[in-house]
Amino acid sequence: MDHTFYLAMSYAATAVALVVEIVALRLRRARALAAIEEERDLETQD
Amino acid sequence: MTFAWSYFSSPATFYRLAGALAPWWFATAVILGIAGLYMGFVVAPTDAQQGEVYRIIFIHVPASWMSMFIYFVMACYGGVSLTFNTRLAAMMARALAPTGAMFTFVALWTGAFWGRPTWGTYWVWDARITSELVLLFLYVGFIALANAFEDPRRGDRASALLALIGLVNLPIIYFSVLWWNTLHQGSTVKFSGTSMHVAMLWAMLLMALSFWAYAIGMALVRVRAIILERERRTHWVRALAT
Repeated sequence: MDHTFYLAMSYAATAVALVVEIVALRLRRARALAAIEEERDLETQD
Repeated sequence: MTFAWSYFSSPATFYRLAGALAPWWFATAVILGIAGLYMGFVVAPTDAQQGEVYRIIFIHVPASWMSMFIYFVMACYGGVSLTFNTRLAAMMARALAPTGAMFTFVALWTGAFWGRPTWGTYWVWDARITSELVLLFLYVGFIALANAFEDPRRGDRASALLALIGLVNLPIIYFSVLWWNTLHQGSTVKFSGTSMHVAMLWAMLLMALSFWAYAIGMALVRVRAIILERERRTHWVRALAT
């Protein structure tokens, strides 16, 4: 019996989960840096 | 010793240390992952009973191990944070949770796609699988609780308490196949030895080490993001963002 589908779905889902986690973390870091810059700019204006 | 402890538990120091260490852990994860996949798909033979589908084991078992191990480490950080009121321990607990949840999801997903061709079903309310699902809920609950408070220190304390209470689920997951009559098979790898082919065993161990290195790398990168979020009003963080 050909079980390629089950094997492919397992490895593909794992790859997707890893990529999603890495991208989400990069976005989180970018947001944190943007928030710091925004606050600093506001203080400079004051 | 006390000096080193307090020195490295300072977010400012740890931020730089984590930044220096993370790439090495990711490189280790990639090298071990490639070696594990090579062993698993090229060297390891086809299983006599299950055919090729058994190769799901090379991600299913390491992901299951990591889901429990990360939870244990996360609860330890939670315990340290509650006992010594250390900010960095609480941040590390928060940094580990998403990766632990991801590995728990992968363990459940790959288990379902292994179960369908071998058991004839994607899902069964068996003790091992249900307790692993409870682990996923614990991770999600931890993340939600940690972020539910305006004051992050209150979130740290509440989530640490939840993590410690949830520790009771780990022995239930591990021993469920012994305590109850489950569809899920018992442990293939034991401290006393294994009946697996040596190439299969090596592939599985290499993948487990790869996942382990990945989890450390991700926790280090995530704790840096958390430090930036929590310490954004300090001078040293503002200097970084220039």
